[in-house]
Amino acid sequence: MSKAPTEVTLPRTTRGKRPVFFDDPSIDQMMTFVIELTTEVAVLRERLDTVERLLDAGVPVTREAIESFQPQAAVNTERDAWRDAYLKRVFRMHPTASAQTSDPERGSSP
Amino acid sequence: MAARAEDIATPNIDELFRPTHDERARQSFVSMLRKHAIIDLRAAVRRHYESEVAPALRARGAEPATWRDIERVMEPDPLHRLYSTLRYNAQEMCYLSVQPAIERALPEMIDLARDLATHNPAGGTLRLNPQFEIPRYLHALDVHLAPGWVTAEHTEDDVAQGAVVGFGGKVFTGQHPYRKRPGVVAESIAHWIQRTRPGFTPRRILDLGTTAGKNLLPYKSAFPQSEAHGIDCGAPVLRYGHALAEHEGIAVHFSQQNAERTDFPDGHFDLIVSSFFLHEIPLKATRNVLRECHRLLSPGGLMVHMELPDASSVSEYDNFFWNWDTHNNNEPFYTNYREQDPLRLCEEAGFLPADAFKLTIPDAASFGEERYARFLKGELPAPPHGSGGWFIFGAERRG
Ligand SMILES: C[S@@+](CC[C@H](N)C(=O)[O-])C[C@H]1O[C@@H](n2cnc3c(N)ncnc32)[C@H](O)[C@@H]1O
Repeated sequence: MSKAPTEVTLPRTTRGKRPVFFDDPSIDQMMTFVIELTTEVAVLRERLDTVERLLDAGVPVTREAIESFQPQAAVNTERDAWRDAYLKRVFRMHPTASAQTSDPERGSSP
Repeated sequence: MAARAEDIATPNIDELFRPTHDERARQSFVSMLRKHAIIDLRAAVRRHYESEVAPALRARGAEPATWRDIERVMEPDPLHRLYSTLRYNAQEMCYLSVQPAIERALPEMIDLARDLATHNPAGGTLRLNPQFEIPRYLHALDVHLAPGWVTAEHTEDDVAQGAVVGFGGKVFTGQHPYRKRPGVVAESIAHWIQRTRPGFTPRRILDLGTTAGKNLLPYKSAFPQSEAHGIDCGAPVLRYGHALAEHEGIAVHFSQQNAERTDFPDGHFDLIVSSFFLHEIPLKATRNVLRECHRLLSPGGLMVHMELPDASSVSEYDNFFWNWDTHNNNEPFYTNYREQDPLRLCEEAGFLPADAFKLTIPDAASFGEERYARFLKGELPAPPHGSGGWFIFGAERRG
């Protein structure tokens, strides 16, 4: 309560017990790294997409132009479709053992 | 609403939130990550359970009978683990992705909220209690994995958690088919009341656990003559909610109170509502809140809570799905709450059994009027809770 507002740093960690989903907790930690990294790639991809759209429009590419780029609704729709497909590509599950036994010809589940 | 707000030109506290290009990209991606987990993977896990896991167990004569059995079987399942880790991480990232922009905006946000709390241009009020005792169950851990949740104050007159929970919530629901618009629950309940009780005109409305009033404001629009009140324990979310309502030009009275025991007089309200509230408090507190509702309702008054469907209202598989949050989303009271029969809870609070109800109503925004009429005639069921419908329970107060 004593800090001036300008100095406020919000807490980044949650109070409460963190669940462990995998047999080895280091895999839980690894999944956080993977998910964060996946997110970083998506952010980078979107920045590149903004740059390309500025170039297409003949707008000089400056940091300021990137920051003030306001995507139209159609651009957002296109980006959402990309994000959706990208997520599904990255988090592709191995075929399950039971699916393999039930479909030995193809050996993979949808 | 927006046009009117422009006329009176009250600044919008939400507009002080100015994420950079990359922060915005991150937020959009987290919304999609969350959708991938809660919609796509949730469905995939269910299909996997129904078409592979359960039949294999059935063949061995070991099909799970209860949701706990299902949980035991599914916990080591690789697909369920992927779903769980994505859901958990996405939840954390909702808040992490908005915090930097909030830190930058905070001084301006605080100034604006302070100013609006002094001048109340829309005629609402904000009543905080510096001596307020926050119930232990509310600050012992961070509900929804939101660091600081709704009560933490980082500086004087702080609104930060109002912004964190508000903008984090927008990332959370950003790609959810039925939750994109704020206030959909209140809109759906108000619509249901108007269609089932024509002529019901509440003089005073109270929303319990209102946070920043997202599901309170639509009641004021549906019942314009009414006086609308919202209470919560968290000062930062109330300050934020007050600033938002004043900008919208909607007069709402926010006060910092414990819903277990408020300072309103007996029979003060004709309509008492809540949403996403009761499952977050211990059962003892829920019982106190319902008794308090009974005390506060006027004769002929109506109480409606939007809640998670209770265990007996859904399948064992659905119970397994819903109870995930208990341990994985810092909601320790969730499973126990869901095991109660809401009708029984109403009765224990003093309502007559014949005056209590529980049902799933359609989401007003997506269902369509024609289908709604058929729902009212009993010809068409509402979609399941969270997938186009909302589970509600409550009671009327006689005499
Ligand atoms: C998930 S939020 C509710 C969200 C909000 N009603 C909506 O529809 O968006 C739960 C809220 O209940 C509040 N709360 C918890 N215990 C309370 C109590 N005893 N009295 C009043 N509010 C309480 C919390 O502070 C929190 O803001």
